[in-house]
Amino acid sequence: MSTSADNELVARVVSGQDTAAFGELVRRHQSHVRNFLRKLSGDHTLADDLAQDCFIHAWEKLQTYSGRGSFIGWLLKVAYTTFLQSKRKSKRYAEIIHSAGHHADIESGSDAPANDEFTDVEKFLAVLTEEERAIMVMSYACGLSHREIGEATDLPVGTVKSVIFRGKEKIRNSFDIKDYNHG
Amino acid sequence: MTSKIIIMAERIKDAEDRLLESLFASPPLADDGFSVRVVRRVHRRLWLRRLTLPTAAIIGGAVAIKPLSGLLALASSLSSLIPMDTINMASNSIPQFQTIVLGAILLAVCLVSTRFLED
Repeated sequence: MSTSADNELVARVVSGQDTAAFGELVRRHQSHVRNFLRKLSGDHTLADDLAQDCFIHAWEKLQTYSGRGSFIGWLLKVAYTTFLQSKRKSKRYAEIIHSAGHHADIESGSDAPANDEFTDVEKFLAVLTEEERAIMVMSYACGLSHREIGEATDLPVGTVKSVIFRGKEKIRNSFDIKDYNHG
Repeated sequence: MTSKIIIMAERIKDAEDRLLESLFASPPLADDGFSVRVVRRVHRRLWLRRLTLPTAAIIGGAVAIKPLSGLLALASSLSSLIPMDTINMASNSIPQFQTIVLGAILLAVCLVSTRFLED
């Protein structure tokens, strides 16, 4: 995915509010963003809604993209922020419902998949904390460099490296990953 | 130079890294109208933003019309307190006095509206 082509499209959007150029940016990166959010949230419908919100936020903040790092790195930062904001909101919502005494309704209506419905990656991700999950997905699924992950998560590169190391260790300790097939 | 070394060091992956990459990899998702939906939402927001200011101005104007007319009436009654000699003197010494005052008021209104639009 060419960064110069991305930068050209960004320039067109920022200079003239070109929605066609923005549409092209969405087409180029929707798969990465949606896959990232699917892995992070574990819910495909929610992830797609969040991906739409992420692109709307990106449209509004596009002038803050300096063009120094990769565009996908910047976009995943927006996606991660959107995910965290949504999580905070839903947590607040759950607290309100809980205090209103409807907790039991939520639990009975939960559509969480049965354990055997989880994919291998979902099982791996389940043993990680939210931050570790985001960083591992950015690194191994999206192919971002440690510097790009640092920029996306506002963490120093050293911290990113240690989070990846810790995440790998957790996966290694919980599963024998050599037993899993490639692909 | 140092950053190049760091990037090269990052690229050196062991077998475990490659295995994790293959496990984390997902097939690319088809667009299926996703980008069209996003662009439609962007269009809607643009239209909303364009309509917000004129709508707010109309509503604000409708709300403010009564107090504004009262203010104008008060201002005209106050102007009668200024001695006619003073007004005549100003008009005589500066022939376009009224035009200048009107221009200054318009300039102030334009500056305030521009600032408001920028905000």
